[in-house]
Amino acid sequence: MRVVIAEDNVLLSTGLELLLGRAGFQVAAVATDGDGFVAAVREHRPDVTIVDVRLPPTFRDEGIRAALRARRETPGLPVLVLSQYVEQQYAAELLATSGGGVGYLLKDRVSRVDGFVDALRRVAAGGTAMDPEVIAALVQRAGDPIAVLTAREREVLALMAQGLDNTAIGQRLGITDNAIHKHVGNIFAKLGLAVSDSGHRRVLAVLAYLNAAR
Amino acid sequence: MTVRYLLGSLLSAVVTLAGLPLWPVPRLARFWAARHRSRATRVLAGSGSPPRQADAGADGDGDGERTARAVLWLPVHVVTGLVLGLPALLCVGNIVVASIATPLWWAFPLADRPRLFVDIPVPDWTTALTLGPLQIVLLLAVARWVLPPLARLHARICVAVLSYRTNEQLADRVAVLTRTRAEVLDAHGAELRRIERDLHDGTQARLVAIAMRLAVARDAFTDVPRDDAFVEGLIREAHEGVEEAMAELRTVIRSVYPPILADRGLDGALTAVTAGCAVPVKLELGDLERVPAAVAAVAYFTVAEALTNVSKHSGATGAGVRAGRTADRLSLVICDNGHGGADDRQGTGLAGIRRRVSALDGTATVDSPAGGPTTVTVELPCGW
Repeated sequence: MRVVIAEDNVLLSTGLELLLGRAGFQVAAVATDGDGFVAAVREHRPDVTIVDVRLPPTFRDEGIRAALRARRETPGLPVLVLSQYVEQQYAAELLATSGGGVGYLLKDRVSRVDGFVDALRRVAAGGTAMDPEVIAALVQRAGDPIAVLTAREREVLALMAQGLDNTAIGQRLGITDNAIHKHVGNIFAKLGLAVSDSGHRRVLAVLAYLNAAR
Repeated sequence: MTVRYLLGSLLSAVVTLAGLPLWPVPRLARFWAARHRSRATRVLAGSGSPPRQADAGADGDGDGERTARAVLWLPVHVVTGLVLGLPALLCVGNIVVASIATPLWWAFPLADRPRLFVDIPVPDWTTALTLGPLQIVLLLAVARWVLPPLARLHARICVAVLSYRTNEQLADRVAVLTRTRAEVLDAHGAELRRIERDLHDGTQARLVAIAMRLAVARDAFTDVPRDDAFVEGLIREAHEGVEEAMAELRTVIRSVYPPILADRGLDGALTAVTAGCAVPVKLELGDLERVPAAVAAVAYFTVAEALTNVSKHSGATGAGVRAGRTADRLSLVICDNGHGGADDRQGTGLAGIRRRVSALDGTATVDSPAGGPTTVTVELPCGW
């Protein structure tokens, strides 16, 4: 699987190359700014991209804007944005673009190689990968409406919102697919949501619910 | 001094009168008034009765009230200048008359002999040698005893008409404080952004890079067969990364608030920074007790930055640092015997000092002629 990276910090980009190389990815290009990234995407047509939020020249949210630009040029381009801090707004902007294949993770997650590679593959496959901290903040803010859920159901909800599918949730929680299926059904029923199929649509539904529940 | 002041006022009153058509020009009126006010202020200061208010802001622009007062002052100035300046002119004039008449009375034609004491003609040497010196002595006495009060009276009237009202003084002070407060906030914000940037791009990025290498190393450790050199290389890089992160974190912390300042106070910190300078530094410390933390930090950075310049750019073989505090000011002088020519625009050292100092409403002056020596003087208010 071919990857284009936008990261200006050499320490981090070499680290990523090392890590991705071992996980079987092929790094096609490393861009060091937004324009370079958009150009590299055009040239290499990667299967998935990894973008740092802060890039030259402004060192503000260049990365987010470059990612959105690249997705406008190449609809459905899978983009995993890495950030050193969590900002709901960025996650929301990414999710607002049409189609799946978006991720927003703290850079810290990179050091848990398996989880990171899973997330990257999920994004590449058109799924979603939202950082647990983003979701935790949403869940916490949601407060009352999700108080009707059991503790286990809230765990499942959080993992769904992060973009995991039933199988992955089951593995994470150490319970069977069947049990997960039941939990998911209960959650949707209790929250009054129409049952969505697995995948990006389900994530959007859950996130939209959490966003609305303030 | 007072005679000159009165003669000057007289002359200026005549000039003012002649300049009547120009009175409505606000800038000119304000300029003229400000000039006279500072003259008057000097006379009053010289006579030991200090003015109530220095003339800061006397040229302030667009202040309607100030302009109105300046225009109102013009006729007052014409009258007081003429009335009070005339005695000075008469006094000086008659001293001159007596000085000429006494030795030279005989040289004038009989019908036109010079007169002393206004209307007494001088017919012979006896009259000349008695009345002449007498007139000079009497007028010198007048100049000594009578004219100074007249000058002060003129100056007082001038200052009274032109001086700030209390609410104007307050308004000016508020304007200054508003401006400096905005600068403080700007400087503070810039400082926070710098710290955030240093931590984000430096320490935090390094930690992430270290975590990535350790993650790969951990993963590679269980490979069969294991590539020991690869794993060892990753661990070595991670280890070096940790050391670099620590060094960077130290730098950031020092730039936030120097630990030595927290531990030893300003005098201890200045002792340490001068001892660490590559050029020998003579340090003179006055009383530095109870300097507010923000002021101490700026003082420390100023000295550290100035000494960095000394050792990097000045070519000096010796330097001096003097720091002392009066009731409400901390003053710093950093000098060196180098080749001078220091310029704000080269590098950020001096500009950084100015920025930090002005944020605290202080002043920084750099005197650095080509060929040296260089003296940096900083004054910081510290008695709020």
